[in-house]
Amino acid sequence: MNDQSLQLTVETRAKDITTVFGFWAYLMTDFVLFASLFATFAVLRTDTAATAHLFNLRFTLLETVILLSSSFTCGLALLAAHGSSRTGVLRALAATALLGAAFVGLEVSEFAKLVAAGSAPAASGFLSAYFTLVGTHGLHVAIGIVWMLALTTAIALRGLSRSNMRKLLLLSLFWHFLDIVWICIFTIVYLMPFV
Amino acid sequence: MNDYFEEIGAWPGESRIARSYAIGFAFSLVATIAAYALTLTHALPPRALIAAIFALAGAQILAQLAYFLHLGSASGARMRTIALIVTFGIVSILVAGSLWIMATLNSRMMPSQNQMIDYMQNESGL
Repeated sequence: MNDQSLQLTVETRAKDITTVFGFWAYLMTDFVLFASLFATFAVLRTDTAATAHLFNLRFTLLETVILLSSSFTCGLALLAAHGSSRTGVLRALAATALLGAAFVGLEVSEFAKLVAAGSAPAASGFLSAYFTLVGTHGLHVAIGIVWMLALTTAIALRGLSRSNMRKLLLLSLFWHFLDIVWICIFTIVYLMPFV
Repeated sequence: MNDYFEEIGAWPGESRIARSYAIGFAFSLVATIAAYALTLTHALPPRALIAAIFALAGAQILAQLAYFLHLGSASGARMRTIALIVTFGIVSILVAGSLWIMATLNSRMMPSQNQMIDYMQNESGL
């Protein structure tokens, strides 16, 4: 049985397809941004093995599994929306936001520990690049959480309208993109020094 | 139930979407744990280990692009996939070019006044 209220006209369908592609184009510019931050990081990290003492791989693994799980629960939100289940969507978004917040919390605590130990961003070119790269990613995740809270409120109040369905999709593109960037971060920034 | 995501091409040509997310999650989890486990236990010599974690990262990225972002050649996803490939081309030039320039920068700098005088007095030719 199909949800009649989401029947699309030719115009609204074309408009939504265009909006999704436009948001994807923005994500591609974010791809270029992160690539340039990675290039800068690679240039400024002159001794990879020497950076290992800054990091704890088990801690990073925890962050990684948390973010990966949040990407999965975001998918669950889309599945619930496909099933026209408002409560399902709200639960999945809440789980995603909680996991995302846990990730950001862990990262902030890691940054605080580094600064307290004297490894502040201004202490070296490498540290500047590290905090910029990982910090930019963390900032994206934090903004995503704010967006998620706003969308959760909108869905709680107005249900799964066409507009909210589209916004949910855009949020999921953003969130999955951030997990993919994190794969590059944990491999290059955190794993490489321990090889 | 509604067809919104199918209608706007977000879920192109897939009949079992739930499986898609489950497969993506399971694969990513395995690839992640494998990369960390190999590194923590030093199971391979350095060069092979770097190759392994990069291969695992690449595979996980492709899996997430396919199973979470539903990229591919199906008509709804085609333009996004092409946009990604083009951006990847631009990014490759950006990253490889930056690394090359920074590695060779010193050798491309003009000599200082003293170096030029020294050269002119002691060497011949270019």
